[in-house]
Amino acid sequence: MAEKVEAIQGLKSQDRSIADEVQQAVREKKPLTIRRIITNEYFLNIVSMIAFLLVWHYAAASGAFSGALCTPWQVVEQFRNLMTDTLAGLTIWGHIWASTQRIFIGFVLASLVAIPLGLFMALNPYVDAIVKPVFDIFKPMPPIAWISIAILWFGIGEPSKIFIIVIGTFVPCLLNAYNGIRLIDPEMYDVIKVLGGRRRNEIIQVSFPASFPAIFAGLQISLSSAWTCVLAAELVASRSGLGFIIVQGMKISDTSMVIGGMIIIAIVAWLTSLLVMGLEKLLCPWKRGIGDL
Amino acid sequence: MEPKIVCRNISKVFIQKGTQRVHVLEDISVDVKQNEFVVILGPGQSGKSTLLRIIAGLETPTTGSVSLDGKEVAGPGADRGLVFQSYMLFPWKTVLGNVELGPKLRNVAKKERREVAAHYINLVGLKGFEKHYPHQLSGGMKQRVGIARAYANNPEVMLLDEPFGQLDAQTRYFMEKEIARIWETERRTVLFVTNNIEEAIYLGDRIISLKGKLPGRMHELYEVQLPRPRDNTDMKFLLLRQQISDASELVL
Repeated sequence: MAEKVEAIQGLKSQDRSIADEVQQAVREKKPLTIRRIITNEYFLNIVSMIAFLLVWHYAAASGAFSGALCTPWQVVEQFRNLMTDTLAGLTIWGHIWASTQRIFIGFVLASLVAIPLGLFMALNPYVDAIVKPVFDIFKPMPPIAWISIAILWFGIGEPSKIFIIVIGTFVPCLLNAYNGIRLIDPEMYDVIKVLGGRRRNEIIQVSFPASFPAIFAGLQISLSSAWTCVLAAELVASRSGLGFIIVQGMKISDTSMVIGGMIIIAIVAWLTSLLVMGLEKLLCPWKRGIGDL
Repeated sequence: MEPKIVCRNISKVFIQKGTQRVHVLEDISVDVKQNEFVVILGPGQSGKSTLLRIIAGLETPTTGSVSLDGKEVAGPGADRGLVFQSYMLFPWKTVLGNVELGPKLRNVAKKERREVAAHYINLVGLKGFEKHYPHQLSGGMKQRVGIARAYANNPEVMLLDEPFGQLDAQTRYFMEKEIARIWETERRTVLFVTNNIEEAIYLGDRIISLKGKLPGRMHELYEVQLPRPRDNTDMKFLLLRQQISDASELVL
């Protein structure tokens, strides 16, 4: 800090800028010892993974779960089978796509309605007063509670599954957009007022950008909710999707298929959340690099 | 000559939680001349920030009035620039984006507002940081952006609300020098709020001190007739500092 002040104080003319000042972090090089390897983060990650797989393998091989647990290797074999063989006319890729497609349709539909509505409610007290009571009735209902009514209304085809996803993603999307605006420091608006701006400027320059991070947090929550919903819908009635694979595995008492399905869901759900994260980085460049500091 | 800013018998009562009355300011009258640097000095809880917000038009006085060039202030406007204690930079905008905000709201053409912004970024010594985001800057640099943003809107009056309150002592001392330099380069009528006696003497043409404990009242007026740039180890400087601190409840 003291150096920095000196550097700034050294600046007399306006042409010179404190941008010239470069800070260099010198990293000490330490010798490679056994202690350093053992305490290495990545090394510990790998040890933990291997230990987990070993425990799993021996638990399955010992028959402690009365044969209803397969070994990790059997799951891998199952993956290979699913990639080449078809299940209800689709390979594993087809099933992954079936679930993902439902997610995206439902997710996009819900966010296109919920985010603008949430923003609108937070910005306009009249809209808030009209929408809030109805919304508050639906808010605490678990989306899965809608499955039966969805099937009654839309049958067992695609629309009922998408409906469930819309219901499940709507609430977190709306709430986060709403809170994103409500939590803005009111002094931020003073900045615009003092610069001579109007209400319209306040909304465009402050409300929208300031609520972006909260909206994306809402999208992340929505996405995991969407995966829960699609799975539940597929478990109940479906001829495709990752939930269908799990149900099939259960019906034919093939644990490797059930666990395989679960692992694939985890991977695909993780990939979709990376996608949303990437979108956030693209749209909120000011948040980029906070992690590097 | 008619004073630039005239505050007459301002008092302010906030109503909290519907019924609770908080009396913040009582009978404040301040005149500020064109291009004068006036410091409002008061301890915490003396209503000095509220006074500044009233002059900025962000609050309305309960009684009394503020006028600028003879016209009564009815709300915030581009003729008064405000520098916030907590910087209030927009984290989603770069340094350039923050500084050019004022001209942008007035629909100044892009080329022109870029020139204005570049000029003031240069003036506050942040050349080369145009593309940085606020989170990449230190506290002192953030407040430089805050000052440049207010200046770039070309206000007639600059209002600074404890602008260096969040800085460490060394940076604060240096920023005081900087604000004096900037003010001498581009003269404006300045109202500067602080709780620091030394800062007040270093910067002000005149110092208006407020009594502590709400409601804030006028206490003393001091004319600082020391040549600029001031030296805070000068005997006259120290005597004035002694005089002010003896007269106030402020403890250095």
